[in-house]
Amino acid sequence: MRLAGIVPESFIDGPGLRFVIFTQGCIHKCPYCHNTETWDLNAGQEFTVKEVLRIIKTHKKNKQGITFSGGEPFLHAAQLCEIAASVRQMGWNVVTYTGFTYEQLMYGETNFHPDKIDKTGMKELIALTDYLIDGKFVNELKDLSLKFRGSSNQRIIDVAASLASNHVVNADF
Amino acid sequence: MFTTIIKRDGRTQDFHESKITDAVYKGLLAVGEADRQLAMELTLEVMKKIKSEYSGDYFSVENVQDIVETVLIEHGHAKVAKAYILYRENRSRLREARSTLMDAVSEILKETNRDNANVGNSPSAKVLQISEVASKNFYLKRMLPENEAEAHSNGDIYIHDLSWYGKTLTCLQIPLDKLLREGFNNGHGYIRPPKGIKTAAALAAIILQSNQNDMHGGQSFAYFDRDMAVYVNEEKKRQEKIIREGLKKLNLSADDEKISELVCERTKDETYQAMEGFIYNLNTMHSRAGAQVPFSSINLGTDTSEAGRMVTECFLLAYEKGLGKGETPLFPNVCFKLKDDVNFEEGDPNYDLFRLSMRVACKRLFPNFSFQDSSFNKPYRDEEVAYMGCRTRVIANCNGPSVTNERGNLSFTTINLPRLGIRAERDLAKFWKSLDDVLELCVTQLLTRFEVQKKLKVRDFPFLMGLKLYLDSEELKPDDYIEKAIRHGTLSIGFIGLAECLTALTGEHHGQSAQAQALGISIISHMRRRCDEATAKYKLNFTLLATPAEQLSGKFTKLDAEQFGILPGITDKAWYTNSFHVPVEYTISAMDKIAIEGAYHKYCNAGHISYVELPSAPENNLEAFETLVRAMADADMGYAAVNFPVDICCDCGFNGVIEKEFCPKCKSGNISRVRRITGYLSTLDRFNDSKLQEVQNRQVHYKFQK
Repeated sequence: MRLAGIVPESFIDGPGLRFVIFTQGCIHKCPYCHNTETWDLNAGQEFTVKEVLRIIKTHKKNKQGITFSGGEPFLHAAQLCEIAASVRQMGWNVVTYTGFTYEQLMYGETNFHPDKIDKTGMKELIALTDYLIDGKFVNELKDLSLKFRGSSNQRIIDVAASLASNHVVNADF
Repeated sequence: MFTTIIKRDGRTQDFHESKITDAVYKGLLAVGEADRQLAMELTLEVMKKIKSEYSGDYFSVENVQDIVETVLIEHGHAKVAKAYILYRENRSRLREARSTLMDAVSEILKETNRDNANVGNSPSAKVLQISEVASKNFYLKRMLPENEAEAHSNGDIYIHDLSWYGKTLTCLQIPLDKLLREGFNNGHGYIRPPKGIKTAAALAAIILQSNQNDMHGGQSFAYFDRDMAVYVNEEKKRQEKIIREGLKKLNLSADDEKISELVCERTKDETYQAMEGFIYNLNTMHSRAGAQVPFSSINLGTDTSEAGRMVTECFLLAYEKGLGKGETPLFPNVCFKLKDDVNFEEGDPNYDLFRLSMRVACKRLFPNFSFQDSSFNKPYRDEEVAYMGCRTRVIANCNGPSVTNERGNLSFTTINLPRLGIRAERDLAKFWKSLDDVLELCVTQLLTRFEVQKKLKVRDFPFLMGLKLYLDSEELKPDDYIEKAIRHGTLSIGFIGLAECLTALTGEHHGQSAQAQALGISIISHMRRRCDEATAKYKLNFTLLATPAEQLSGKFTKLDAEQFGILPGITDKAWYTNSFHVPVEYTISAMDKIAIEGAYHKYCNAGHISYVELPSAPENNLEAFETLVRAMADADMGYAAVNFPVDICCDCGFNGVIEKEFCPKCKSGNISRVRRITGYLSTLDRFNDSKLQEVQNRQVHYKFQK
């Protein structure tokens, strides 16, 4: 799995103090993206799931959870599932950012080129996520006052409630 | 033949031969040859030489003196020449001293010195600074024992607030309850006890201001919520009376429940306005020596009574709202006391106020948090340990009760730890020896100063001692010495640059290696031990202080860089790291920083503070803020705060991080940037140079790491 970076302590990528993994590679390429260096699918650094888990263990204390950001995390869904499952056992919650929408991921309404994208684990990663923050960044809808998001089209989705009720439930933030 | 001579300052003046004769005669006198005739003969020789060397040219006083020396020696008056040379040197030393003072004065007149982030730029501020420079000069040259003055001047130690050396004490936790209950007279008439919250708050501000004029350091209230609560209850009574009378006049009736509802509403409104007024007052009264607002602090958060909770809530809300255009209030310094079973856990009666205090801190940097259940504060749990200003803590007392109110620090002196580290050249035995030497020097110096302070009289402090605000001052008469009272104060030894000291000794600082951390702990615990020994020996409260480095940042470093050159990790920047802090420019996780610095708090019984730096206010993430505060408590910290940039657009009121020159909301360039400095807040334009550099180098403890 290629990663753009790891931030062991973040105050801005979800509720509480969080461990953040920035995956490498993105296909959305939103104008005014603040992490353009994460776009290139071949840049970054290769990590195994085991290596990542080892780093997490050294930063276990005082954290509320893990955040998958990027890049587009869902390009690494299978590996992130392993990490998510493992940290949930430590009592952490999981926040996942994505440039896709919940509907695209759940109901296959994806408009990306199918050959390039391995869809393995995508639905599983959603199920292992507590809060999914979805949607592209839209500069015209940029709002500095939003919690954990850049533009107002993006949603913080309570995944468990959404799965249970079969429609999108926004989290109370 | 010669008519003009060039003076030392470059101006020309009429030339008088007789002045040469006078000078030579004085030289002759000094060796017992009072021979005027000889003096005149020698003057002729001097004139001849001047003519041959400077005929037609301009010459200066110095040129003439050189010639006088030559002539005296050539004519066999070596002894006289020596006396003349000595006389000349002495004169020039005096002149230099005077001109250093004059240079300093002219520097101040050019631009107000930025040593202290709270000083404005008014005419009064300049006059204050000039008098401080003159006082400092006087104390250094006339009053201090030579070795103490020398150690201060060369940068081995720093005697704080030297310009106030022989005149007063540092700070006080003012007994607000007593003053309001009994009323007071500040010299212009008796002020009776208040009957409402607005008056109480106005008097509280006046009390801080009045006592500030008797002292040079911080002025604090230790139990602001508890002490003001009395007047919230008075206000309630007053409001009820007003409402009932009003109803009676209008011939209306209302049931008691409705009246009591209205009373509560009115009381809360009045309390809020009282707190707002209090904050406005403390940011506008330039009453410290006519040039600064008082260094004010308040402690609150643990009174669980309805009235006490109202004070804390209203104060925090008013502080959050800020000044007239939403500006961050720089004063007072707000310290929220955290205590188990009172406000630290969900379900505690004041937990909501703790949550509110975090919300306010996200916007305004204050409150700071004091931990009443840390291992060293817990023994005083019922009394509660209050903190003052930037960090000062006064509690244990070898001469009486260990109480918070009516006491404070008397004076403090800081040790330049990096210099000891550099000089030791990695020889630890040498380091420990030099540390003990300088500790002993500090103890002696603090005692010397105490000898001066204790002989000040009650009448020297019209408010502080006149109103008997100090413990054990009740019985003192106007002409009595204050010794009996100030035995309850503290004498503190501070330190700066543990990080650079460790780098000098081991090659790494305590953020970088566990070994350095272990050595750091043994250095600081050793210093504490020496303070405790001095307490036992001299029966005075010697305490160890994690020095707030404001006046010092830069001074030591500059002197050491001159002496030892630019040493990597030590003298290669414009400042030394604050007390036991991990260097601001070093990348470290907030949790690691908390764990490393937490270990030092318990040794620094005169005061300590740790900061965590965040890239922006965590206002959308109070959970994360709370996690940090809990980690600080777990690390056994006594006093801590979270730092982040607070930028405010003065036109539209946008509050947040403004990275560019212009407000992201309204594009205005009128931005006020507030940062924390030595524990007090300040706007960026009031920082001194080395502090400004430090702020620009502050490493956010949050980083994109690969």
